[in-house]
Amino acid sequence: MIKYYIQQSWLLIISAFFFGLLLAVTNAAWSGRIEENKIRKLNELMSSLVADSEFTVVLSDVEVEIGKGKIVKTDLYKADGKDGKRSGFCFIASGPGFADKIELVIAVDAAFEKIAGYNVLSSNETPGFGDQIVNDYYRRQFIGAPVEKLTISKGKEQEAKIIDSEIIAISGATVSSDAVVKIFNNFTEPLKSEVSAAGLLTDDN
Amino acid sequence: MAKKTNSAGQTFIAGLWEENPVFRLLLGMCPTLAVTTAVKPSLTMGVSVIFVLVCSNIVVSLMRDLLKPHLRILMFTLTIATFVTIADLFLKAFLPEMSAKLGPYIPLIIVNCLIICRAEACASQNGLYISVIDAFGMGLGFTLVLCLLGAIRELLAVGTIFEIPVMWQSFAPWAAMRMPVGAFITLGLLLGGVNLITRKKA
Repeated sequence: MIKYYIQQSWLLIISAFFFGLLLAVTNAAWSGRIEENKIRKLNELMSSLVADSEFTVVLSDVEVEIGKGKIVKTDLYKADGKDGKRSGFCFIASGPGFADKIELVIAVDAAFEKIAGYNVLSSNETPGFGDQIVNDYYRRQFIGAPVEKLTISKGKEQEAKIIDSEIIAISGATVSSDAVVKIFNNFTEPLKSEVSAAGLLTDDN
Repeated sequence: MAKKTNSAGQTFIAGLWEENPVFRLLLGMCPTLAVTTAVKPSLTMGVSVIFVLVCSNIVVSLMRDLLKPHLRILMFTLTIATFVTIADLFLKAFLPEMSAKLGPYIPLIIVNCLIICRAEACASQNGLYISVIDAFGMGLGFTLVLCLLGAIRELLAVGTIFEIPVMWQSFAPWAAMRMPVGAFITLGLLLGGVNLITRKKA
């Protein structure tokens, strides 16, 4: 019986082994470069939020609940200016969007009191609607907003210029806009508690 | 299904027009509509498909005499998935921006009907040379259509081709061309045009 099965499927078994080996070799050859690309992109995004700073990890694998009992881990980076003074903190935050997972790089000030801004690391939101979360006019609302629970509302463009904890949703993309706000709410306050507990918020900042 | 062609030249040309994967066979519609927002992603997708087509056709052609009928689809899928993964890793390593832009559509090449169709219709029944020529012809035909669609949509959506501005300053972009509706309308009009040309010839 076994001989029959092997006779029928020997090509499949050998091919699976050979292709698996080919993929393993390819992955080994290129995984370093792929990792470098990810790190370079992250550094570029963080540098655009906190200029003239060097970034180092201060807290690794911090667990954050993003709803429905799901836990994700993130690293917290401190940003130190050329004068050695703390210029802020950065971290990757993620959550479900309208179409797929949204990953943001969020920056806050040195006291973890105000948001310095965010960049989109990855998203697959609807072109022309949800993908406008990368646009300046939406992102600008977060710059200077307090690190506290943010709320989303539908309002006029003029209201979007007021910097507070109320974020005006993108017209036609309420779900994506809400997703970004939820990501902020899930990550900023818990990380602030972690940073405070770790004694990283000192008067020397 | 592919017409039985004798010469390599005829096989190659068939993929460009007579048996064009998008215009005549209507295969690979999903990436055709999804990634053709501009010429660059269209070209990247097209070249990736050519790579996967050629490699999978080579492997299938080499093992065609050993294929068991009830396992051939499994073998095709295994072969195609391997080369798609290699293409995906290559883009992540050397063209990370394009990889991010194309997103899930590179891994979705695995289920592109064009590739498994050519493996079944050509590579599993022909020698290595014809299989490779067929893969190049079909892949090039697919790429040219994607680039044409990408050029039209990019031109009307943002006024550029290959990110080079070509439209006049006061040109008002058609945002809809970036969206799925623009893809469907453009492809539909092109298909209509192709049908008109081929009907006239007949």
